[in-house]
Amino acid sequence: MLKMTSVRKTFRTDTIETHALRDFDLQVEEGDFVAVTGPSGSGKTTFLNVAGLLETFDDGDYQLDGKSVQGMNDRQLAQLRNEKIGFIFQSFNLLPDLNLFDNVDVPLRYRGFNSAERKQRIEQALETVGLANRMGHYPAQLSGGQQQRVAIARALAGSPRFLLADEPTGNLDSNMASGVLDLLSEINAQGTTIIMVTHDPSLAQRAQRNIFVRDGQVTEVQTGTNIQELLQQTAQV
Amino acid sequence: MNQIGPIFRALLRNKVGALLLALQIALTMTIIVNAIHMIENRSSMMARESGMDEANQFHLMYVGYKDSFNERVAVETDLLEIRKLNGVVDATQINSTPLSGGGWSMGLTTTPNSQDGTPVSLYFVDDHGLNTLGVELVAGENFSQTEVTYRLSNDKQWPQNILLTEAAAKNLFPDLTPAEMIGQTVFIRDDEPMTIKGIIDHLQAPWVQWSNVNNVMLVPQRGLWNANRYLVRTAPGERDRLMREVEELLLAKRDGRLIRNVTAMDEQRDDAYQDFFALQTVLWVIVTVLTLVTALGIVGMVSFTVNQRRKQIGTRRALGATKGDIMRQFMLENLLITGSGLIIGVASSIALNIWLVDTFSLPRIGWHYLPIAMVVLVIVGQLAVLGPARKAANLSPALATRTT
Amino acid sequence: MIAYYGRLALLSLKKNVLLTGLMIAAIGLGIGAAMTTITVNYLMSADPIPSKSDRLFAVQVDNWSPNEAYDEPNLPPDQVTWLEATQLTEAKMAYRQAGMGTSYGVIEPKGKDQKPYLASVRITYADFFPMFEPPFLYGSGWSTQADEARELVIVLSKEANNEIFGGANSVGETVTFSGNVFRVVGVLDEWEPKPKFFDLATGAFNDMEDVYMPYTLKQALELDTSGNNNCWKPIAEETFQAFLNSECVNSQFWVEFEDPDDKHAYLDFLHNYVAEQKQLGRFPREQNNRLHNVMEWLEYQEVVADDAQMMMYMALMFLIVCLLNTIALLLAKFTGRFGEIALRRAVGASRRTLMLQYSVEAAIVGVLGGLVGLILAWLGLQGISALYGDSTEGLTSLDGTMIAVGFALAIVSSILAALYPTWRACSIAPAGQLKTQ
Ligand SMILES: Nc1ncnc2c1ncn2[C@@H]1O[C@H](COP(=O)(O)OP(=O)(O)O)[C@@H](O)[C@H]1O
Ligand SMILES: [Mg+2]
Repeated sequence: MLKMTSVRKTFRTDTIETHALRDFDLQVEEGDFVAVTGPSGSGKTTFLNVAGLLETFDDGDYQLDGKSVQGMNDRQLAQLRNEKIGFIFQSFNLLPDLNLFDNVDVPLRYRGFNSAERKQRIEQALETVGLANRMGHYPAQLSGGQQQRVAIARALAGSPRFLLADEPTGNLDSNMASGVLDLLSEINAQGTTIIMVTHDPSLAQRAQRNIFVRDGQVTEVQTGTNIQELLQQTAQV
Repeated sequence: MNQIGPIFRALLRNKVGALLLALQIALTMTIIVNAIHMIENRSSMMARESGMDEANQFHLMYVGYKDSFNERVAVETDLLEIRKLNGVVDATQINSTPLSGGGWSMGLTTTPNSQDGTPVSLYFVDDHGLNTLGVELVAGENFSQTEVTYRLSNDKQWPQNILLTEAAAKNLFPDLTPAEMIGQTVFIRDDEPMTIKGIIDHLQAPWVQWSNVNNVMLVPQRGLWNANRYLVRTAPGERDRLMREVEELLLAKRDGRLIRNVTAMDEQRDDAYQDFFALQTVLWVIVTVLTLVTALGIVGMVSFTVNQRRKQIGTRRALGATKGDIMRQFMLENLLITGSGLIIGVASSIALNIWLVDTFSLPRIGWHYLPIAMVVLVIVGQLAVLGPARKAANLSPALATRTT
Repeated sequence: MIAYYGRLALLSLKKNVLLTGLMIAAIGLGIGAAMTTITVNYLMSADPIPSKSDRLFAVQVDNWSPNEAYDEPNLPPDQVTWLEATQLTEAKMAYRQAGMGTSYGVIEPKGKDQKPYLASVRITYADFFPMFEPPFLYGSGWSTQADEARELVIVLSKEANNEIFGGANSVGETVTFSGNVFRVVGVLDEWEPKPKFFDLATGAFNDMEDVYMPYTLKQALELDTSGNNNCWKPIAEETFQAFLNSECVNSQFWVEFEDPDDKHAYLDFLHNYVAEQKQLGRFPREQNNRLHNVMEWLEYQEVVADDAQMMMYMALMFLIVCLLNTIALLLAKFTGRFGEIALRRAVGASRRTLMLQYSVEAAIVGVLGGLVGLILAWLGLQGISALYGDSTEGLTSLDGTMIAVGFALAIVSSILAALYPTWRACSIAPAGQLKTQ
């Protein structure tokens, strides 16, 4: 379970203050598949970063599995990220100098699994995304869709309870995007909670739950709402 | 520490960069090892003792130029007067001194007309020679006042008795103890016999680079060659004053001679080893600057890599790496590169040394230089990455999503 | 277009000041160290008399002991005896020839307020002056007749003339040297050939002598011998003449030919000479006569000090480290721009233009590094001359050639250093890099 209450996050630069999140309230239940939409610059990535413990917040409360993350040190945060959270990024973020096997291996190494367990998990994760036969290849030798599938395998390999994805299909064509979403649905079906930021309304439709972020605040929307319309409304405001 | 595998494989992907750094480390080690070896070699030569009481001695040279200059009278009265000066321990006429770079050498043999002589350098001194030089008798006796004779320029005869350094005597009589060497006969100029009257502990020949530098023979003669030298030994702390006083004393005689080169013995030492010291300094500068260049090169390379890999570092952090993990990754990467460089370095250090031994007849390096240099360079490398690695560790995990 | 690349290069250099500074410093330090030591070696091995170094020859004959060579492997002595110095000169079998040696003595004060002057002396023959061409301020050398007649003539160095005559034209004046009155026939101008090739016995970079006088006076006045005296055979009697006639080597003998090929005829003459001497019971070893022209002689006598060479090799290796450093930094830098390169290629930049752009960047680093290097070399040479003192006088100045060499070395080095990184950068496919970014 993931619960945010009145979370605030403000970026200060010399010239301006940006309130990226203000009084952000959200509760995500075990097993949810949440699609996050909203106009550009509204705070979606910030929300995901705070949720994934990549960024700290200024005010409010955030509980992950019933435990407040406020005041945790770097080590504890790293451990939580490592054990409970899997990340999928818009630009895949594979490490170019490592082959697929070693890429998926990265979080498992930090986890401290022994080599037999790592091997078994890596193979299984790559199996799941259908790339088990290309373990020795390097990211540059793969298409974008394949790269994102490796990234998903990497996120999955540690059996995280939460999968956070920031525009996972943003760099993919619609065919590939659809394939990735199929994969995510399958993972969700097996019990992993997924929060996915997307700007594609048709993909958002496929999540159980839709939330809409605007000016750093969140509104719940019915699944099936015409998000395109919402976006246009926002543009007019 | 369980990341060596992937780091190593990643390095292999980035061959050229890693290879360049490794080569640089290898060459750095090669230069450092051999330069320090040369420095040490010179240091050990400079550390050899002349056998004298250098801190309290000086010498000067006189050259007579007027027919009226009566050298024999002058030398006798000069030495008497100098010895009487307050603070003077003793004084002697001597043709040359250790560390001076100019002198006289001859060959001695144990049988007449033998082919292989033992080269010795000669100092002509009187009965005050031992005390003025500050050397000790190990066996036998000093010259007596009556056996000191005068020697003219073309004289070829050699006196009855001589003193030898233990090193020279050991060359001639390897099997005898110093006490047994007393009374032994040695031959000079093919077949002229001389008797060993005493053995002194240690005294150097004038040439510091001579292979027989410890072979010295003292001859009980005063030279009447119109130009010669006095050596004066003083009480501690009195030397500088006496250098002026003795020169003034001699100049005041106005007896048709020049006084030149009033030189303190330790100044003489600095002169004798000036080139050694200079080479050492140059090598030290090279070693220091080289280490600095290599270290800064590592800092530059790693800083740049950190900048390049901001997103990767963010990604790793997002995947659960702690700050420590990131630091360790960079340190380990450096350790691997440095390590492989050092392994090449061991081979190339030895190769360069072999070449130096062949070309410049330098001694072999001691094996202990290699591990010491390796440890030092590993530490230098690790210190160099410390800064950039810390910068990397402090990068925000959010870079994973924020950078394109 | 070059101006455009220059601007691009400067921009990119400015963008990463730390890296640029490091590269310039690395090249500068490497060049500085290399130039310092190369200059010393270059000056040590310079041709001291370029106009005729191929026609001046040092003569060696082997009068050494039958039991052992003067030096291994079977080398004749570096110097000759008084007998050879006089007899070979007087044989006049070369275009010019001069035996010579060194001595010393005191020149007595002229006036009340002057001090006696301890002078080092080169004793030699009339041909010395036309052979080695020292510049004269006043007067000239002496004549062959003066050698034969053992005239008390003297040539003063500029320094001695300053000391004794306050720098005035002293030709025709007299000086009292060790009790004998000499007539001044000439005064030299500044003359410090480095190395002091015609007499290396006591140090290749020693100062010139204070005064010059006929070698024939050695016998007449029983002049003291200074410098290096080496004997293998005891001297027969206790007389000065016995010392002169001995097998002790303490003199040098040089010849000048009009044509370097005359050397063969001269070697024949030496062979006959030594054969005659063997008849007289001298020269117990096999004939081993040698002629070396000036540069061969410097090489044979290993004038360039081992220390100087070792330093140079160390400094050159240091330069290589600095270059490896620069290559690595440039590579990192250019690798960091693969994206930009791919973009430039995509918008139509040819491989050639990119090559040019990056070469300009490397060349700028090279020029700046070269400048830093030359400044450091100048400082380094000051340091060397401070450390070594007088013995390196004249060996620590940067001349035009060395400055040019320094710059060339810097630019060639940086271009070499840039070669691989540039090639890597330019072999990026136009779009390939865009995808994986
Ligand atoms: N590091 C930062 N410094 C300053 N402002 C930032 C920073 N990161 C994000 N912002 C601002 O915060 C707001 C929310 O950004 P973000 O969460 O990335 O929006 P999006 O919904 O497009 O993902 C934006 O206005 C953005 O400019
Ligand atoms: Mg975003």
